[in-house]
Amino acid sequence: MDSHDRDHPLLAAFLAGDLDPVQARQWDEHLLACERCWQAVREDREGRQAAQLLRQPVPPGLGDRVAFAVEVAAAGRGLVQPDHRRGIGFGRPGRHRRRASWRLAVAGMLAATAAVALAVTFLPSGHQAPSLPAAVAAVARYAQAISGPAVPRRPGPEAPPVEVGHPVAVTAGGQRIVLRTWRLGGTEAVVAVSGRPFPMPAHARGVSGRGMAWSARLGSLGLYCLNGRTSELVAAPVPAAELAALAARLPLY
Amino acid sequence: MFLDATLPHLDVVWQVARRTAAEGQDPEDLVQETYLRAYAGFESYRGGNTRAWLAAICLNVARSQARRRRRRPREVPGLALLEALPWDRADGGDGAADVANVVMAGLDAEAVSGCLGLLPEPQRVCVVLMDVAGYSAREAAHALGCPRGTVLARVHRGRRRLAQLLAEAGVSHGQP
Repeated sequence: MDSHDRDHPLLAAFLAGDLDPVQARQWDEHLLACERCWQAVREDREGRQAAQLLRQPVPPGLGDRVAFAVEVAAAGRGLVQPDHRRGIGFGRPGRHRRRASWRLAVAGMLAATAAVALAVTFLPSGHQAPSLPAAVAAVARYAQAISGPAVPRRPGPEAPPVEVGHPVAVTAGGQRIVLRTWRLGGTEAVVAVSGRPFPMPAHARGVSGRGMAWSARLGSLGLYCLNGRTSELVAAPVPAAELAALAARLPLY
Repeated sequence: MFLDATLPHLDVVWQVARRTAAEGQDPEDLVQETYLRAYAGFESYRGGNTRAWLAAICLNVARSQARRRRRRPREVPGLALLEALPWDRADGGDGAADVANVVMAGLDAEAVSGCLGLLPEPQRVCVVLMDVAGYSAREAAHALGCPRGTVLARVHRGRRRLAQLLAEAGVSHGQP
C-alpha cells in the first residue's frame, strides 16, 4: 500500500471488521510498516474508549416518568392539551389533535379506561381501587412517578419549599389539572390544582371541620385535598398525620 | 404494546439524549418528548429496528429544540480556547466509573465531554450513537438516514479528533 496524505479509504472498514481475511491480513502487514496508519488506529481506539466513559446509567424514575407521560397521552388522545406557554411537553403535537366531537367521545372512553389502568398500576399489589376517580388517580400516579421515598430529615422551621422542574398540565377524566412539584426538606410533594373539585375516593375520609376536605392513603402515598373555588390536592409520601401540616407550608396554586 | 416495544431501549435513548440535548435543555425532558413523539407516530411505524427509530426521533427533537433556542454548537478548535471552554457537566457516576476502571484509569470524563462538544456535529452524533449509546454502525446509519460507510468514516474521524483534543488538553489516558 502506498503512502497517503489522508486516512486510507479502507482504514474505517478495517477498524469495523468489514474486510475479508485476505484484505485484513494485508492491512495487518501494512500497519507494521506505516506509522501514519498505525497512529490513526491508535487514536481511533483511544477516542472510542474515551467516549465510552460518558455512558451513564438511566436516572431512577425516568422510566416511570416516561411511562406515565405516555399513559396520560394515551388516556387523553384529544383531551390532554399540551401547555406550551409553560414549556410543558405533555400531550401530542398540535397537528394530531382530534377535534371532532365523536372522536372526543371515543377519547373520553379511552380516558376512563386508562384512568382505571392508571389507578391499578399505581396501587401496590394487594390494594383495590375500583372507585378511584380518574383525576385523583392521575395525580397519585404522577406523584408516584416523580418522587422517591421521603428522606428522614426534617426541615428547619424557616426552610422554604423549592419548586422542582416545570409545572405540568394534564386532563384526566375531563378535568384539567396543573401539577407542580415542591421539595420541602427531605420530601417531594406534588400539588395539583384544578378549577373543579377532586372527587373523594370511596375509601377516603372527610377531614373534620373542613366540609370539602378529604384525605386518603394509597400505599405509601398520602393524599390531602381541599376543595373550594379552586381545588388543591397534595400528594406526598408522608404519614397521614403530617399531610395537613405539610400542605399548610406549600404554595397551593 | 408501545411501552413494551420501546421502554427496553430507554438506556440508549438516555445516552443519546444526554449528549445531544441543547444547552439549557434537560435531557430527561428530551427523553420524555422523544417517547411522546414516538407514541404519536407508533401507529404508522412499520416495525424494524426500534432502537434506531427512537434514536432518529431523539435526534430530530433535539435538533428542532436547538433551532428553537437559536443556539449553535461551538466549533472552537485549539488548546487555548479549549481551556477557556465551560465543560459540559458529566457527573462521572458509578456506571461511568466502572467503565473507566476497565478502559482508561484516570481519564477525566468532564474533559472528554468538553472535547466531544468540539467535534463537528456529524462526527459528534456518530460517536455518541456508536460509542456512548452502543449502536451498531448499521443502526446509526438507519437513524441518520445515511450510508453505513459514511457513519464509519465519520465515527473514525470523530474518534481520532477526540483523541487529539484530549492529548492537546493534556488528559492522561492511562494506556500507552
